[in-house]
Amino acid sequence: MSIRLSRRKTLILSAAGAVSLGTRLAAQQEGLRLAFIPQENPEKLLGDIAAITGWLADQIGVPVEGFVTIDHAAAVEALRNGDADISFMGALPFVLAEAEIGAVPLLSEVYRGAPSYTGRIFVRRDSGIETLADLGGKDIAFADPISESGYLYPLAEFVEAGLVAGPGDADAFFGRIFFAGGYQQAMQAMAEGLVEAAGASQYADLLLTPQQQAEVIWIAESEPIPSHVVIARPGLDADLRSRFVDAMMRLNEAGNRDLLRYLYGPDGYVRADPAAYDGVRDMARRYGLLG
Amino acid sequence: MFRKLLGFVIFSLAGAMISFGPAIATPAKEAPWLPDAAAYRLTLFLGNLEPLPWDDVEAAWSEPYRNSEFSADALTWLGEKSDIETGPLLDAMARRDRQSLFAAATRLIALRIEEELGRALDVDDPARAQQAVGTARELYRAFADGVAAADPKASRRIGLAWLELNSSTGSAGVLGAGTTPPDRETMVTARAVISDYLAENYLVDDFAPRQQLSPLPETAVISGRDIEVPPSLPPGSDIFDQDPLPRLVLNFEAQGIDETDLPIVAYGDMLFDSAQIFGSPARDLGIACSTCHNRSDVNQRLFIPGASHQPGAIDVDGAFFNPIFNDRRDDPLDIPSLRGLRFTGPYGRDGRFASLRDFTRNVIVNEFGGAEPTPFMLDALLAYMLEFDFLQNSMLAADGRLTDAAPEAARRGEEIFNRPLAGLGDRSCASCHVPDGNFLDRQAHDIGSASPPYEGARASAFDTPTLLGTVYTAPYFHDGSLPTLAAVVDWFDETKSLDLTDAQRSDLTAYLEAVGSADEPYETFDAENTSFRLAFSELTTFASTIDTLLPRRDAEHILLLTDTVAADLSADASTMSNLAGRPEVYALAERLAQVGAAVRAGDWETAEAHWTAFRDAADTIEERAF
Repeated sequence: MSIRLSRRKTLILSAAGAVSLGTRLAAQQEGLRLAFIPQENPEKLLGDIAAITGWLADQIGVPVEGFVTIDHAAAVEALRNGDADISFMGALPFVLAEAEIGAVPLLSEVYRGAPSYTGRIFVRRDSGIETLADLGGKDIAFADPISESGYLYPLAEFVEAGLVAGPGDADAFFGRIFFAGGYQQAMQAMAEGLVEAAGASQYADLLLTPQQQAEVIWIAESEPIPSHVVIARPGLDADLRSRFVDAMMRLNEAGNRDLLRYLYGPDGYVRADPAAYDGVRDMARRYGLLG
Repeated sequence: MFRKLLGFVIFSLAGAMISFGPAIATPAKEAPWLPDAAAYRLTLFLGNLEPLPWDDVEAAWSEPYRNSEFSADALTWLGEKSDIETGPLLDAMARRDRQSLFAAATRLIALRIEEELGRALDVDDPARAQQAVGTARELYRAFADGVAAADPKASRRIGLAWLELNSSTGSAGVLGAGTTPPDRETMVTARAVISDYLAENYLVDDFAPRQQLSPLPETAVISGRDIEVPPSLPPGSDIFDQDPLPRLVLNFEAQGIDETDLPIVAYGDMLFDSAQIFGSPARDLGIACSTCHNRSDVNQRLFIPGASHQPGAIDVDGAFFNPIFNDRRDDPLDIPSLRGLRFTGPYGRDGRFASLRDFTRNVIVNEFGGAEPTPFMLDALLAYMLEFDFLQNSMLAADGRLTDAAPEAARRGEEIFNRPLAGLGDRSCASCHVPDGNFLDRQAHDIGSASPPYEGARASAFDTPTLLGTVYTAPYFHDGSLPTLAAVVDWFDETKSLDLTDAQRSDLTAYLEAVGSADEPYETFDAENTSFRLAFSELTTFASTIDTLLPRRDAEHILLLTDTVAADLSADASTMSNLAGRPEVYALAERLAQVGAAVRAGDWETAEAHWTAFRDAADTIEERAF
């Protein structure tokens, strides 16, 4: 086998720009445009989008287009100017989008039977650390400064325990605070002994190797955090919105569950309860993210 | 980020590969490798095989690695993402110069890390800086286990530098809220820690000659210290059990006899699942008999680059598992099913072992480099494997004739199957695949399915395989060259000039599909009857043999059991759907490890106390073990 020296062009999404699948439904009234935000490999997301939009189009009876945006801000901008009708995002970006453009929550993702999850503080089993107070002066890794379960909610446990005065005072309690870039990086840093603790999603220990999982415990758990939410732009036609929600709810049926893997892989959906996000709104205000 | 976690319950082994404990048979699914990092790791792996498979090395760079989430091959990827020159790498491959290949590939990855680190520092946008840091870190993963093995202090220093670097890139916030600017001074300092180490160890102009290609840093290699990098499989490997999982039919179990009442069988069952009986690398990678023979059958997904030519095949006498047993021939075999093993001798695809005991010892000692098994271990393994039964098939009577449940086309095919054919020398298919003899004749025949190994040689003869259960064991023939039973029929029709019509070929295929079928071929799981419950049941059954071994003060075999089962129990807990039940299982595994520790210390009284506690605890948590 010889090496192909010519470089064939492949469709690799650049994270620097939004790439659309197929032709835009410009100025078309009958149709739905879905804005997706890349979580992992954007190239894989393209294939997933093609699969789910095809199914949704069959179910709803209108053309459904999906496209990838660079981030939450681009998705919200697309919702604001009508380039997108629907998007998928976490609880915190949603409450900010709600405040900014009046985005409407439609569906909440379900994982392991609940439309919510928690953040936890993890330590190594052999560390001798048993309480949050034991972490005074110690190093901790969080996932990201705007992650609900990977920073905001776990840190709130230290505030609740009276160890940290407020969101801006964490440096006074800990030795060093690192933002590792994700759950897995934070957990790995803790498991390898680079830091004493990690703040991450309740399920983040599943990202460690089986051996490491046995060596890790959690010592604090946050209040429930609403899971990711499917949102709509405020002016979306009510009938179309309703048909979309009904179609999405049919993903819970046994024959359709395989399709969930094309939508970030939840176990299912429930109709969103706007009041469920009150806690996130409060949290966003406390951290100065929401006016 | 929540969905990001649950959508990808996978383990990046960047740092974790350094922490191999006892070998476990629960493989960890790896996070996807970037195409260029994957090609590098494949190059290291393949570069250690003899003879070196240069075509595979070239494919590692010019084709996407198997099951990659990226459609681009490494060279295309580099062309699109990088300005680094690939000329030296291509030149080394063209010249088939192993040392130059290692040097060029190593420098290429180090330069890629430097390139991404430079991008992180050049951009103002924190999101793009974090993306560049993330990419650089994913590339560093290609070296990480080498650094960790050679220099734990440097590994820690670099690990902290990555944390520092990521933290100091700032945050783009969310929708304009919560933005924080980058801390460039800290970024530069952290980057220097990484870059200095790369310069000294991976961006070297003239690497010391490598007998073994590895990600070890140059300073460690030239120090002459004896450093062992824990074995790992390259990207594209797959040693997970197949899904759906084949159903295991054990003769005693079908008769209602409990395995816990058959201690030697239970011990053999444990050995069949134990990587401890093999040598490194199989042992360290958690490869056991059951890795290839899932539940006595096959594993259609098993694939190791350089050792497999296609999924479900493996070359067990190649360079990877036991170099001293390397036959230097690229001859991977399709994994055979072990169902009905007591009826299918002689053993080996070519029937070279009349004795299953000799065959089993050869697998352990020669093919997988394990220590000489004790007579008890061989007795136990045989006692277990001889219980493997064929799957039940209501379309087949005991004498091998079709029942009324078989479709009409299969009945017509049955007649063809038993009809003497001129192309077969007036023999029939049934002459070798004897219906009332489990569809085999226990002989080896040369049917022309392999080319002669050298000019003038007789071609290879292969043991007649049974046709029972074959619907679930595709592909077919010793090398897995035929994908379907219909293709097998076509092959015989064409090569033996059987002159079958289309309809006859179709009927004969229907017959093979009826014979090879089964009423319940796969295990079925539900919310509480999970794969973990099955594993828990098996592992506690294995442990029950301690009841027999403790009174005999058989330390050697107790320790083999506790080392295997305690590690597997703990590792398998990671697959539980009842997450709240995991701590109990960890505690149970620890209790079994304490049995082993006490035996190791010669403290039999304590060992018995721990064993009693284990049994009580296992009974208590059984209902929550899912």
